[in-house]
Amino acid sequence: MKKALSLIASLKVAIALLLLITIYIIIGTLIPQHATEALYQANYPTLAPLIDVLSLDAAYSSPLFITLVILFIINLTSCTLLSLPSQLRRSRSTYMPSFNAESEYRVEEQDEKLLRAYLRRKHYRIIADEDGFSSGKFRWGALGATVTHIGLIVIFIGAIVGNIASDQDMISLLPGSTREFEEYGFSINLDDFYLTFEESGAVKQYISDLTITNDDGTIRRQSMWVNNPLHHNGLGFYQANFGWTSNLLIRQAETGEELVSGLVRNGNTYFYQPHHLNIMLYGYFPNMEIDVNQMPYSINNKEDNPFYAVVLTQFGVNVGSYIIEPGQVIPYEDIAITFTGSTPYTGIVVRSDPSYPIVVAGFIILTFGMFMSFYLYPRFIFYKDGHLYAVSGKNGWVYYQAIKAGIKAQRKTGKQ
Amino acid sequence: MYQSIENTTFMIAIVLYIASAVLSLLSVTGIVKKGGKVATSLALAGFIIHTAAMVARTIGAGRLPFSNQYEFALSFSWGIVLSYLVLYRLYGFSAIGAFVMPLAILVMGYASLQSKDVRPLMPALQSYWLTFHVGTAILSYGAFALAAGISVIYLIDERKKDSQRLVQDPEVSDMLSYRVIAFGILMLTIVIISGAIWAQKAWSRYWAWDPKETWSLITWIIYAIYLHLRLRRNWKGRAAAWFSIFGFISVLFTFVGVNILLPSLHSYAT
Repeated sequence: MKKALSLIASLKVAIALLLLITIYIIIGTLIPQHATEALYQANYPTLAPLIDVLSLDAAYSSPLFITLVILFIINLTSCTLLSLPSQLRRSRSTYMPSFNAESEYRVEEQDEKLLRAYLRRKHYRIIADEDGFSSGKFRWGALGATVTHIGLIVIFIGAIVGNIASDQDMISLLPGSTREFEEYGFSINLDDFYLTFEESGAVKQYISDLTITNDDGTIRRQSMWVNNPLHHNGLGFYQANFGWTSNLLIRQAETGEELVSGLVRNGNTYFYQPHHLNIMLYGYFPNMEIDVNQMPYSINNKEDNPFYAVVLTQFGVNVGSYIIEPGQVIPYEDIAITFTGSTPYTGIVVRSDPSYPIVVAGFIILTFGMFMSFYLYPRFIFYKDGHLYAVSGKNGWVYYQAIKAGIKAQRKTGKQ
Repeated sequence: MYQSIENTTFMIAIVLYIASAVLSLLSVTGIVKKGGKVATSLALAGFIIHTAAMVARTIGAGRLPFSNQYEFALSFSWGIVLSYLVLYRLYGFSAIGAFVMPLAILVMGYASLQSKDVRPLMPALQSYWLTFHVGTAILSYGAFALAAGISVIYLIDERKKDSQRLVQDPEVSDMLSYRVIAFGILMLTIVIISGAIWAQKAWSRYWAWDPKETWSLITWIIYAIYLHLRLRRNWKGRAAAWFSIFGFISVLFTFVGVNILLPSLHSYAT
């Protein structure tokens, strides 16, 4: 049992798992994720069966990857628990490491008075003994590795909680429209959505002005943009994308009577039943140009030169393709088809993720643990038979250099 | 005007770095006696001019030069030279310049191939996290480059007699490489964490397995393995030096390779 436990917690297993996880995630970056089976068959004909068996098309949620990560968490947790007693022992304020003059860095300094003054200034607690004295500092730094590991474990716990409990949805809102979130006790209304532009015409920011009405009648107004999400009652709202909705108007050609008025998005089709006519809005181009293939495209999203590309089909047969300005009429039999204008709609990611605070706590613990390990490591001084030894395990040479420089500076100031 | 100052100072910095690298190489090969100090002075002069180029870019763009491949390469090479100069100030090893300055020149050369156009920040980049995230990446990558340079010195020195060594005690270069990597991985941790927090604000998810963040994680794991083997298995010397160089190749792939080969949410970094 003891043997099995020490194997599970061993560094060998940890390294093997880390290597396997690394290889797996490298493969995940090389193979397109969540693509269709046909794509894998076409691009990786020989690898396609392997991709399917190992779920490499969804590498980071595949059973194999999850198993590797769980094994690593078990290894990390057991290693941390097993090494904790010895780290706690070494972090006690009375702990001193064993001393061997042959294997330690020796500082050539004989002036005991000066050394004591230097160590006192650096807040070392000096303990006199038969041959001289000894001293130590930052013993609690011995816990750095444990704190680092705890940080990682907390991050993993957060990731698991996130996978189980997080929920995400995507909503589209037009200015003036409202969305209910009954479960969370509020509704959200998009008062306005607009784009701001750089001088070059590139989009500077996407801004949604929102009004939240709680079930108790209280109201909150806030604007939201990329990098400035809105949080309310456990839900996060994130500016994700946008698109155009165009106003389609069909009139009786002779009388001008309005037959149809509705909204159509790019790529969508409106079916006008009386004529069995499909009116497809191929695209709205707010600042249109024609490319070398004579196809329309938009230079940017500023509505400086707006045009609509419209395709009409009847019983599957193309009956006309048009590029028209807002308000320009497409005559078809006894009707007149126009697009009168367009409005941008906002795409908002709505997400609830209780794991985020856990993960952030893990981040803080991890960073602090690493800082402890690398910069607050335990350091000890032994003054034996007129020689000073700087002892600090794996960081011995760096510590020795620091002590040498410190004593040199102390001598310069002449303070004793 | 700032563009012209930036271009001029950029070119002068490269020339000074090349002079420093050549002199440093001549010095470590014994062709020029005691050229190390002059080589370091040239690197320092180049660094000051390089800083001027970055200041000109900052004023011209109205923000820190952190937002595209040219700007990051400009800053990355600055980070490499800064790391070298700090190490020289602390321990006085000028020979390291012979192996670190060529890396800085290489990254500057890469920068010179990129578009220098000043473009406004896209909405996702308009965040104070940009400075923190990229700033720590510069320090981290600079440290890893320096560690790789020191590791090359170790690999050269371990075959030589005491009197012919670039750093008298190979154990010292071995230890320095480890300490520099320790700093680099701490900074890389902050890079990944700040990126995750930023992604949470911008894209609603702190982790999305985007190739850039995934490769940063791969680099982090490589250096974490290095540290564990070193601290727990007393893995030193040649194997550790090769591992450090291998880690830096991963850094370079994360910086350049991912942008060229893998579609990413970080595609603005081109």
